[in-house]
Amino acid sequence: MGDRLDAIVVGAGLGGLTAALTMAHRGMRVLVLERNGVPGGCATSFVRGRYEFEASLHQLSGVGLADRPGRLYPFLEELGVMDEVDFVRTPSFFRSVFPDLDITLPAGREPFTDALCDGFPDAADGIQRFMKLLFTMGKEVKYFYPLMAWPSLPPPGRVLPLPFKTPNMMRYAMLTWGQVLDRHVEDERVRALLSQIWSYLGLPPSQLSFTFLASAMASYIDEGPLYVRGRSQALSNGLVRLLERAGGEVRLNQGVREIRVAQGKVTGVVTDEGEEIPATQVVSNVDPVTTCRELMDPDEVPSLFWHRLRSNTVGPSTMNLYLGLARTGEQLGLTHHETFVNESYDVEQRWERMKSIGPPAEATVTNFNAVTPDISPPGTSMVVVTSLIYGEPWLAVPPQEYVATKQRMADQMLQLAERVVPDLRDAIEVIEVATPLTNMRYVGQLGGAVYGFEQPPGETTLFRLAHKGPLEGLFFAGAFTQPGGGFEPAMLSGCSAGAKAAHRADATRAGV
Amino acid sequence: MGFFLWDLGQDAAAHLRGITGWIHTRRPGQGTDFLADEYRAQTRRAVEALHPTTMQLRVVEVTDRTPTTRTYRLEREDAELPPFRPGQYVNLWVDIDGVRTHRPYSICSIPGDALLELSIKEVAGGFVAPHLLGHLQVGTRIESSGPSGSFVHEPLADGRDLVLLAGGCGVTPFVSMVRQMDRDGWPGTVHLIHGCLEPDEAMYGDEFERLADASGQFRYDRIYSGASWAAPGRSGLLDARCLGELVGEANGQAFFVCGPTPMTELCRVALRELGVADHRVRVELPGAPEDVTGCPGWPAGLQASARFKLRVGDREVQAAAGEPLLCTLERHGLLVPARCRSGECAACRTRLDSGRVYELPTAHVRESDRDYGYVHPCASYPISDLELTL
Repeated sequence: MGDRLDAIVVGAGLGGLTAALTMAHRGMRVLVLERNGVPGGCATSFVRGRYEFEASLHQLSGVGLADRPGRLYPFLEELGVMDEVDFVRTPSFFRSVFPDLDITLPAGREPFTDALCDGFPDAADGIQRFMKLLFTMGKEVKYFYPLMAWPSLPPPGRVLPLPFKTPNMMRYAMLTWGQVLDRHVEDERVRALLSQIWSYLGLPPSQLSFTFLASAMASYIDEGPLYVRGRSQALSNGLVRLLERAGGEVRLNQGVREIRVAQGKVTGVVTDEGEEIPATQVVSNVDPVTTCRELMDPDEVPSLFWHRLRSNTVGPSTMNLYLGLARTGEQLGLTHHETFVNESYDVEQRWERMKSIGPPAEATVTNFNAVTPDISPPGTSMVVVTSLIYGEPWLAVPPQEYVATKQRMADQMLQLAERVVPDLRDAIEVIEVATPLTNMRYVGQLGGAVYGFEQPPGETTLFRLAHKGPLEGLFFAGAFTQPGGGFEPAMLSGCSAGAKAAHRADATRAGV
Repeated sequence: MGFFLWDLGQDAAAHLRGITGWIHTRRPGQGTDFLADEYRAQTRRAVEALHPTTMQLRVVEVTDRTPTTRTYRLEREDAELPPFRPGQYVNLWVDIDGVRTHRPYSICSIPGDALLELSIKEVAGGFVAPHLLGHLQVGTRIESSGPSGSFVHEPLADGRDLVLLAGGCGVTPFVSMVRQMDRDGWPGTVHLIHGCLEPDEAMYGDEFERLADASGQFRYDRIYSGASWAAPGRSGLLDARCLGELVGEANGQAFFVCGPTPMTELCRVALRELGVADHRVRVELPGAPEDVTGCPGWPAGLQASARFKLRVGDREVQAAAGEPLLCTLERHGLLVPARCRSGECAACRTRLDSGRVYELPTAHVRESDRDYGYVHPCASYPISDLELTL
């Protein structure tokens, strides 16, 4: 390494890669170090038999396509991602199945609202009002969005109009989804349907940030959910390629074991192999707890920051069944991309069940052939069944009981999925089961928490952990930081962390 | 106006509820203290106990299995043996004349056994097997990877009735499967058909015969392909005629096939002829073929001995067309993380910056990895000058 690096990014997850790319675009010399042999963190895929499975992505919010661009679109376009990566709109939003109800909700303002109102005419007024609020929120979030990724303090010209531009965001900032929803809709079935994608965020309506779910819903409905051609690995690989084109470097199979600190400032990193690499900016895509407790001397971290961390709780992890099926979606009666199977309308109770290893009360059955028909060989389909579950109970499973425990829970998830695909078991050609421990093993995040810390109103968007770390030159990116967990938020976190690190680099350089 | 004030008041109340509720639930001391070192240590222990990256083993017992195979029983010195699934393998690390490399060997013991059992067969002209057979003796210490591999019985997909087709030392993963069924009980039937050169080479034959005699659910057949066979039993290959006779009508069994490529290909064709659906057949991928120039799609006229320049960073080495790139890299001390050595697991994923490789048909490369020029060196052979980024 002849020239001095401006920044090192620890971890090549979506947050780390977008942070690196943002910095490289601002002329910084950037190196990304990743312990795994493949970039992307959760945004990856793997091959079993003749199937290549999507590891994590169901549908992507906030991006949209050129005809209806989402709020992240301009960021990705500036970074070149929209040209490099091929996004496809999923044909419908989701299908939702309850013991006595089976309904498909399309994307698009009118189609979505109409489908819901037609299904529940008695609740139509409330639905209309609530949807109107959601779309207003969507508009306001669009105004607010760039401010979250501003390199430094946004200018007064952008901040002062906020009360007029984003009145609802401010009004509902500290409210939960349940609190707002209850004002408009009484029917528990409609409430369950409108809250259906809570599992994309990880908390039930009574605790989940209204703003966060509202902005996700508004984007899915307005801009249409997307999937990535070539699976989410294509997104990660694309980001790596763009980064290299912009002069950055990614080293795989090379973890960081230490972030060096001197006089309260970050000075570089030490790799697993003992190589010391100096840099004045370090962006950590590793969760903040692991970063501060394990990658550096905890005594260097101001005690206030520990209090800040302690105000959080670790969010849920996932259990995934990756199924290569020797039959098509049409043959199996699974023609939608995303199908939610619910045991009851009571989301709170479904959430309670995530706290222990046992039959889940909700599962998502995703048939990727619905959006990209050639994702598996002709005559087959690639289906992933997902249930959220907290990681902690898995830490207590004795190693010798792990395989049996995993298989028992997989069987219970299959039973749930069989409610919508009765012939599922017969069609299985390949099955792979991933538990929270699998997430911990490959991604290494705290508790295998796929969305990072939990996302109540006080811990999302600007209230969530900031990108500027507790030490000078240290920045965080990824699901544990602003604005929150998920593909779109993780990428925004990277754009923001990268912009802030670049700003500091410029300021430091100017100061010298 | 009154309505507006009421609305605002309601919001304020809700905010207050929200904030107090939030402070209440977020009070430190509730739930797990994820900042505690113990919490993260617990996570590390849980992952490491299931998927150790390395294991320090010591040979405690060596027995001759057949004239060409030897069985080693090893204890793990650095921790308990991790749980694994019958059919999985470990990689044994060796250092031969300065070349550090490893090879995968199927585990013959079963989860819960105190010792790890591996059976190694002599390979004519081999590099690692002869070394291991020559060096491993009671007391020898050797490093291995943790167990991995996906050639395992999946109760959720494979059903209860299994037919296991083994060729030569390809019987090793089945040893573990059959032993586990014997120990834990099995709800269905298991039929093992072992194709080997001659009776002397029937690894674990005595044990299988004993188990078959004792159990109504386990059936064991042997078939000899060697020209010099002289024992009672069948002769020939595992073709459609033979499988038809031994297995009868296919009715929903799951077929597992492990052996050298010609044997697995023969079985694949035979099972198709017998009407077995492709997705009921699982084939363990073999390692590198003995002669890659005979593989489908190999460039006509290109000799295995042809040499090309292989550039890695600022180093340039010679690579033989007939040798997997992974071996060439290891030969020059360029270590790439690898596991399955048959193109399947993607651990050795490496970027090809220029040049062309021949890829074994069994290489499982991700679609977008292929688009971006990544190859799996364990299943790739140079067919032009190359540049790689490790």
